[in-house]
Amino acid sequence: MKRKIERFNPFVYMIRSLFGMFIIVMISLISLILLSYFLSATPKRTIYYFFSGPFSSLYAFGNMINDAIPLIIGGLGVSLAFRAGNMNIGGEGQVYTGALIATIVAIALEGFGEIGVVLSIFLAMAASGLLAGFSGYLKAKWNTNELITTFLVSNAMILIVNYLISGPFVDPLTNLISTRQIPEVAELTLVLPPSNLNTSLVTALAAVFIIHALMYRSKTGFELRMYGNNNKFAMYAGISHTYYQIMPMFVSGAMYGLSGAMAIFGTYHAVIKEFSVGLGWNALAVALIARYRPFAVIPAALFFAYIDSGAHSAMLYSDVTFELSSIVQATVFFLVSSVTLQRLGLGKRRV
Amino acid sequence: MSHVLEMIDVTKMYQETQRIANHKVNLELNRGEILSLAGENGAGKTTLMKILYGLIPFDEGTIIIDGKKQNIKNPIAAQRLGIGMVHQHFMLVDEFSVAQNVVLGNEITTKGLFYDSKKNNKRVAQLIDEHNFTIHAEDKVARLSVGEKQQVEILKMLYRDIRILILDEPTATLTIQEITSLFANLRRLKKRGVSIILITHKIHEIKEISDRVCIMRAGEMIGCYETRNVDESFISKIMMGDMRTKIEKSPLKRSREAILSLKSVTVMRRHQTQPLLDDINIELFGGEILGCAGISGNGLGQLESILLGALPLSKGEITYHDELLSTTHQRATTRKLGLPFVPSDRLYIGSSLEATVSENMIATSRENFFPPFGIQKKKIYQHTSSLIKDYDIKATPHQLIGTLSGGNIQKVILAREIEKIKDLIICSEVTWGLDVGSALFVHKKIVELRNTGVGVLLLSSNLDEILSLSDRLLIFSRGSIVAHFNETEIPHLTKEQLGPYLLGKATKGLNR
Repeated sequence: MKRKIERFNPFVYMIRSLFGMFIIVMISLISLILLSYFLSATPKRTIYYFFSGPFSSLYAFGNMINDAIPLIIGGLGVSLAFRAGNMNIGGEGQVYTGALIATIVAIALEGFGEIGVVLSIFLAMAASGLLAGFSGYLKAKWNTNELITTFLVSNAMILIVNYLISGPFVDPLTNLISTRQIPEVAELTLVLPPSNLNTSLVTALAAVFIIHALMYRSKTGFELRMYGNNNKFAMYAGISHTYYQIMPMFVSGAMYGLSGAMAIFGTYHAVIKEFSVGLGWNALAVALIARYRPFAVIPAALFFAYIDSGAHSAMLYSDVTFELSSIVQATVFFLVSSVTLQRLGLGKRRV
Repeated sequence: MSHVLEMIDVTKMYQETQRIANHKVNLELNRGEILSLAGENGAGKTTLMKILYGLIPFDEGTIIIDGKKQNIKNPIAAQRLGIGMVHQHFMLVDEFSVAQNVVLGNEITTKGLFYDSKKNNKRVAQLIDEHNFTIHAEDKVARLSVGEKQQVEILKMLYRDIRILILDEPTATLTIQEITSLFANLRRLKKRGVSIILITHKIHEIKEISDRVCIMRAGEMIGCYETRNVDESFISKIMMGDMRTKIEKSPLKRSREAILSLKSVTVMRRHQTQPLLDDINIELFGGEILGCAGISGNGLGQLESILLGALPLSKGEITYHDELLSTTHQRATTRKLGLPFVPSDRLYIGSSLEATVSENMIATSRENFFPPFGIQKKKIYQHTSSLIKDYDIKATPHQLIGTLSGGNIQKVILAREIEKIKDLIICSEVTWGLDVGSALFVHKKIVELRNTGVGVLLLSSNLDEILSLSDRLLIFSRGSIVAHFNETEIPHLTKEQLGPYLLGKATKGLNR
């Protein structure tokens, strides 16, 4: 009997799976173009500066990449947690907490030089990790919904950090609500002056490799994905439920903490009130767009940063407000949650 | 001449797996006939019928209804053409009444707005009378038995004036009495001119009910025959492509020490006095197949759950050699220990549908493929490929396991578990839903294992399987073991003789 069996081609599959994402990005960019005609008196100018702005100078280009760094780091954590079937939506509070812990520890340990800096990063990761891990623990213990607990804990932490930086840790020498500046030893080197792009880029890229290796090239990652795919099967295969409810949450929190610390050491040099607003959510959106694959997190984060940067330049050189970027990002965020759109290139699922 | 339905050269390839499910398939259906569509799992029967019912699009071919070429895009279009399908898994709203379920989507309303329950009930009651069904229009569906729910599904179709009725393995979950009444109903429908297509792989039912049988194999239509002109062995031969062979067992060589033992294992349900498992004692030795049989709901399910560690014991203990696996109020650690286990729920417990074949293959022996740092991709690929070859699984290592047919998924699970056997394997409903060829393959494997000294604990509600494989046999009824048969008694046992024990009306050989 003759039967044509073609081999499963992963490359073709990848291209086809990207098609849906391409459509989503196109829809959001087209909506941007249409909006410009409504919102702007000089729509062509707006569109021109929106798209070309990020590449108009080294300064703009460097800043765009710099903006992507915390999104990459945060997005990696979300991806890992989601692969284990856990959702961490407390990124906002975890970034903010990580930033504060990194800052005050770095200031306190100024006398220890580099060791103090490294320690402050680890403590920031541990603190944010514990915040998210706590939700994982509650889930393992009482089967609470981590979607709700991460969000609630995060909101509480935002208020607590706000209090701490406007009270106990406030810098009396500035007019901002902000902590003191971190010691010079903790400031990361700029790599593309005059832009803010700094060596935290190396951390982000290293994190991509590490998280990828953890997820796809280790036994832990294998167990984690099996647990996320089907926890009954995981139980049958002797995979610990408790561990994979807590560990991935801890790691995702720690990654958020790291992204907060990197933002401070690389760019802000002090915790300014609400400096990180939106970072947690955007990292979540980045993970969604990347569909929880570590290497895809990089282009997804760059895309988000590009939109932000484009809106900045359009705001400077034309007559629109910065909210334009939020609209585009919101459109992507909304569309990306549609499984149908995402699977557009893959054809119908077998019934 | 007057075919109600013709399918010509229908071809369908599943894009994701590049698997040809139907290749130039032709099918004709006469008015008022019962046609069996037979074939092994994965032969393409269900795909062909789903195409006809508009559930999946096809690549090439023509469908002609009443002499007119039709393009059936979805089930609603199919129903408009008079085609209806009853799925293996019912699609009913449990909280609704029979009448509400039947009319759902086509309700009789007052002023085009309000559900008129009186008229609807009357219409459905009339329909039930017309077809001599045994259900009542006002009964809640949740309270019906499986056979009665199936009647509701059939009624749903009749209410929509269906002339071509497709039934997907309708007898799979029915009792013998329910099957008898289903067949009586089908014969009545046939007399009224309804054409019926039965998807099945039970050969004796094909002979009993159908006028013609069409047999598919590996996506192709092999042939259609008048049922009265062919016998059962011919049908099975065509279905499998080769003849059946009998399983040879070597003389029993039982080990001296028990491998697995359960001592007075009891499982209580909260707030109830009748235990789900009552003082169960089992000793499994090496080199034997110990069968555990029972009608569903009599304790086999709980036995599987406690062995899986999904359910804690209320009392008793389980040991593996000298190692205590669980005792009072504990869950068994069989899974952490990784004892080979083929669970009855192969789709949700035995495999991870979203993972690839190779990921499923290594899941229970993963420590062999992950050195302290990294992963041995080559070793995984070779391991999976060789198992795929040894077990004749129709799959590639990187394919998602959810795209395989049920029989092939079960082979993946078996391959994985058999591969890591030391001296014991636990199998539950190991051939449930498999076609003749796959079932025979599985049975041979199990006997092979037993011949090499492995202890096999075989939980099954399939009496043919239990009787042809077991060396010793335990019968479960209402949570207790009511009978024990040894190797000298089993060869003389028949299914009928087991009846009273299964129903808990007799006991035997319990003094061991």
